Amino acid sequence: MTAIAEPVEPVEVAIARPRAFRRGKGLVGLVLVALVAAAGLIGPLLVSWDPYEQIAGANLLGPSAAHPLGTDDLNRDVLARLLSGIRVDLLISFTAVPVGALLGCAIGALATFNNALDVAVQRLFDVLLAFPQLILAIGLAAVIGPGTSSVMIVVIAVEVPIFGRLLRAAVLKVREAPYVTAAEVIGGGRRHVLWTHVLPNSLEPVLVQLALSMSVAVFIEGAMSVLGIGVSPPEPSLGAVLTTSLHYLDLNPLFAVGPLAVTAVLVLGFQLVAQAANAARA
Amino acid sequence: MTRYLLRRAPSALIVLWLASVLIFLVIRAIPGDAASVLAGADASPEVVAGIRADLGLDRPVVEQYLHWVGGLLTGDLGRSYLIGGDIASLVADGLGNTVALTLAALVFAVVVALVLGPLWASTRRAWVDRVLTGFHTASVALPTFVTGVLLIIVFGVLLRVLPTGGVPPDGLFARLDFTLQYLALPALCLGLPVAGVLTGFLAETLRSELRQDYVTTVRAAGVRPREVVVRHALRGALPVAVTTLGLQTGALLGGAVLVESIFAWPGLGLLVEQGITRRDYPVVQVLLILSVAVFVLVQLLTDVVHAYLDPRIRLGGTS
Repeated sequence: MTAIAEPVEPVEVAIARPRAFRRGKGLVGLVLVALVAAAGLIGPLLVSWDPYEQIAGANLLGPSAAHPLGTDDLNRDVLARLLSGIRVDLLISFTAVPVGALLGCAIGALATFNNALDVAVQRLFDVLLAFPQLILAIGLAAVIGPGTSSVMIVVIAVEVPIFGRLLRAAVLKVREAPYVTAAEVIGGGRRHVLWTHVLPNSLEPVLVQLALSMSVAVFIEGAMSVLGIGVSPPEPSLGAVLTTSLHYLDLNPLFAVGPLAVTAVLVLGFQLVAQAANAARA
Repeated sequence: MTRYLLRRAPSALIVLWLASVLIFLVIRAIPGDAASVLAGADASPEVVAGIRADLGLDRPVVEQYLHWVGGLLTGDLGRSYLIGGDIASLVADGLGNTVALTLAALVFAVVVALVLGPLWASTRRAWVDRVLTGFHTASVALPTFVTGVLLIIVFGVLLRVLPTGGVPPDGLFARLDFTLQYLALPALCLGLPVAGVLTGFLAETLRSELRQDYVTTVRAAGVRPREVVVRHALRGALPVAVTTLGLQTGALLGGAVLVESIFAWPGLGLLVEQGITRRDYPVVQVLLILSVAVFVLVQLLTDVVHAYLDPRIRLGGTS
């Protein structure tokens, strides 16, 4: 461990328990995420407006039957933009986070094979983790410019060292378990032991972190939008819709309520799922 | 103590050095070098060449890097072309406001955690536990920009009781009542997630401390329950709390950028944002390495304080 290493939680060796998601926090979390996902997947089909359409004469309208959340500064229906925006956040959460997790886990697991490689990888992770997440986002966005792909690259860059560290710690711990020694003693090859015994038993903390990281991805998307380095206009996202509403809080605070509520529900949902998964490990 | 510090400092310095190389190279990797971006699309080649010479971009990369780092170490942070002026004085202008905001948020977080943590760990009332669990989950999960906008809507737009942006016209510290009013919402917004995380860790550690043998002994000796928690268990939980706080520095630094943007707080975060939107790379570059330096140094400091509070680490060799 070095000066900036995160404290690594003790890894419990057990099988994931789906029971944790049949009641309590886990169930609530899953339902919240599912609600937002359903709204994002089905919602845009139910709203008659197009998220990019500029409706003549509909500038900054308040809520009405035709526009339940009103219209924005460019005469677009806010509800349509919000529902389509959910898709962008889901896309980022469910692709960039798993990609970052896979990359991180692969690097973390490979590094445990070779001491020199391990030292190099750990130093690299140290340096990446020395950047506060949002500061890393700013640095990367300064270089590659704004846009959905930039948000995804930032999310991947943030997640790789986190998952790398996590899996490495888990692998090192599981490798000491008696059943792994036993597998080695009866002649199991290194690769065989890693794939069939060590890795499957090292995945639990990774699953917890996946849910946590998905909420972080939603945070990063929103934060980058607020800072003007998120998805590029006119593409809608939760953060983009919220950022537009910020300029008109005095005029009509209701503009912000939609994106605020959806972001809060989605993030809380991921968080509760992570908490339930974590509690199930203990 | 000094020995412990000497043992930990080298790895922190290496990380800092690697980060400076990374930042330097990444900024250099921007397509079409910084000089042509600074000069604008329709600048003549002579102007671009002039800026390039001015920035030192025509010299070898290693020399540029050494010049930059040497400047950083001697306080010469370079010049800003688009925002204008010395970067050092731009940083000096925003530093006070950012430090004030961060410290206020930190004080808020620590006070909340010191009150709610012990309460949560020792409560036997189900409703208190439920309320604190809710507070913890919400404050940890909700992004800064969500709570920030909520605070603005509630206190600034609906109730109209607190200012929602900027600092008082004649400086943050001219009048104490103004200072507090203007600080209230941004500091609350920035401090809330830290308060949540810290409360959670403190309560968890206190709960396990309260199961230790020494607590049973103290209880058996007739010490009052509150004294047991405050005098004895809290002391055992302090090292963990300090480490947690240290790890939250990153969240504070990133959060400060967001909070300053939402509340139009004229600090370093707003300067970074300006630097990005106007593509003023020398400014961005300096602020990036500054925030990494603060982050790394605070972690080092945290380790040292942790070791000071917990003799097992100070004397035990590696950790």
